[in-house]
Amino acid sequence: MTLLRAWLTGIPAYLWSGWGAIASLFLLLAAWEGASAVHGALILPDPGTVFATLAGLVDSGAAWPELAVTARRAATGLALAIAAGSTLGMLAGISMTASMMSRPLVTVLLGTPPIAWLVLAMLWFGASDGTPVFTVFIACFPVIFVGALQGTRTLDGHLREVATVYRLPLRMKLFDLYLPHVVSYLFPAWITALGTSWKVVVMAELLSSADGVGAALAVSRSHLDTAATLAWIAAVVLTLLTVEYLLLEPVKRELEGWRRQETEGGAA
Amino acid sequence: MTRALAIHGLGHAYALRTVLEDIDLELPAGRTVALVGPSGCGKTTLLHLCAGLLTVQKGTLENGFLRPAVMFQQPRLLPWKTTRDNIALGLKALGVPAGERLARAGAVGRSVGLDELALGQFPHALSGGMQSRAALARALALAPDLLLMDEPFSALDIGLKSQLHRLLLEHQAAHGLAVLMITHDLMEAVRLADTLLVMAAEPGRIVHRVELATPARRRGDAEVYQTTARLLQHPAVCASFGLEPPAPAENGTGGCTVLPLHGDSDAGCAAPALRKKGFSC
Repeated sequence: MTLLRAWLTGIPAYLWSGWGAIASLFLLLAAWEGASAVHGALILPDPGTVFATLAGLVDSGAAWPELAVTARRAATGLALAIAAGSTLGMLAGISMTASMMSRPLVTVLLGTPPIAWLVLAMLWFGASDGTPVFTVFIACFPVIFVGALQGTRTLDGHLREVATVYRLPLRMKLFDLYLPHVVSYLFPAWITALGTSWKVVVMAELLSSADGVGAALAVSRSHLDTAATLAWIAAVVLTLLTVEYLLLEPVKRELEGWRRQETEGGAA
Repeated sequence: MTRALAIHGLGHAYALRTVLEDIDLELPAGRTVALVGPSGCGKTTLLHLCAGLLTVQKGTLENGFLRPAVMFQQPRLLPWKTTRDNIALGLKALGVPAGERLARAGAVGRSVGLDELALGQFPHALSGGMQSRAALARALALAPDLLLMDEPFSALDIGLKSQLHRLLLEHQAAHGLAVLMITHDLMEAVRLADTLLVMAAEPGRIVHRVELATPARRRGDAEVYQTTARLLQHPAVCASFGLEPPAPAENGTGGCTVLPLHGDSDAGCAAPALRKKGFSC
């Protein structure tokens, strides 16, 4: 509840602090406009046209169902990866043997391109939801696993001794000792995974599904409709930015309040 | 089992390196035993054995105390908890309800000189001295009957050190807790302890034992200085710290390996001390 209130009250100040980011985004738009003027509308439609197309897609009601389908698949795969990756990563971090054994496996997973998994998933799951969900899961899992593993392994041994001598029960060790420390490793991993999931799901849909943003992209490509293609891309990017900066960043700032005070204290 | 810590024939080794050998020690309730010795003589290992952080390999260690608490060399506060929550850590582990444990933590915090502002801050915002107070408060909040301390005040200046010494002695007088403290500061040991055990290194063993007759609370500065000076002339203490043994009394002043307590560092000292560390006051 306090988290929710802090999140809501934090938004105005947070948005105000975003002027620099907005300025750089406008620079990007200007460059886009320039490139469009040089190459012509077929190669690169100007931002105005693209956003008008996007607005048309939203108004006609075509955008939301596709985005919802895509979001559902990405969220399912991501949720599975977060649950499995965080739990297994922390468990592996507690045991020296488990962390040494899991490292090469995770490196293999990280090194395998998502497109390879996608082909396998298409063979295993066909055109069902299983294909994008599995691909998202397998692309996000190692990132989160490594975050949880490193977080657990880097906990100060001195603090673990404090937990032992003050006889902290298992539940307190988890919530008062491990989680607050691990979260600072886990949260960035989750955000990275969120970006990965959103990118991978569109790719998986493009090749394997009949609905979702990826499928819509495939259709607009086959119509040589560059404006619609860019409109869908804009929709994907804007959704990701909204989720990341409006939802996750404020939560992260709140969770890491003690760290912020540390830097301020250091500067004072 | 009686309220006492009894150690007989205790030994410990890390792989092939023996760090402790044949340690005998008795700590009854309400008494203070100080272990003094040079760095690396196994003091911390001994304390970790008493705290249950290491498994006893050889000999016996019987801890009859019910509520032991440990104060480490560094404050070791959890950085993501406020000072008040840090002090309440042990109480939370005991299952004391939130309201009561925070009230008790606040009371103990104030008794060691932490104000409301400091109690609400995260450890990083506190000075080193404040952090040490918080660490002491965290140990005392448990109302322990045994307090194990590992050079807890070694990083503090003289003023803070003596303040915390007073706090500890007051608490001990009020609650009668037993203290096993480790220090390489001989003067700190003389100020606080009832029994002083001098350790030597390689392997760590007890080489000398001193009983101090005056209760710690009634020991004046002069007595502390004199006792420390006398101890520093003792052959076992000199050998333990790697100091030159006292020269025969030719000029009537006795041993000259004692570092002067005030200024004038070379005066009257025929052989410079090999190790000065630990003799600061």
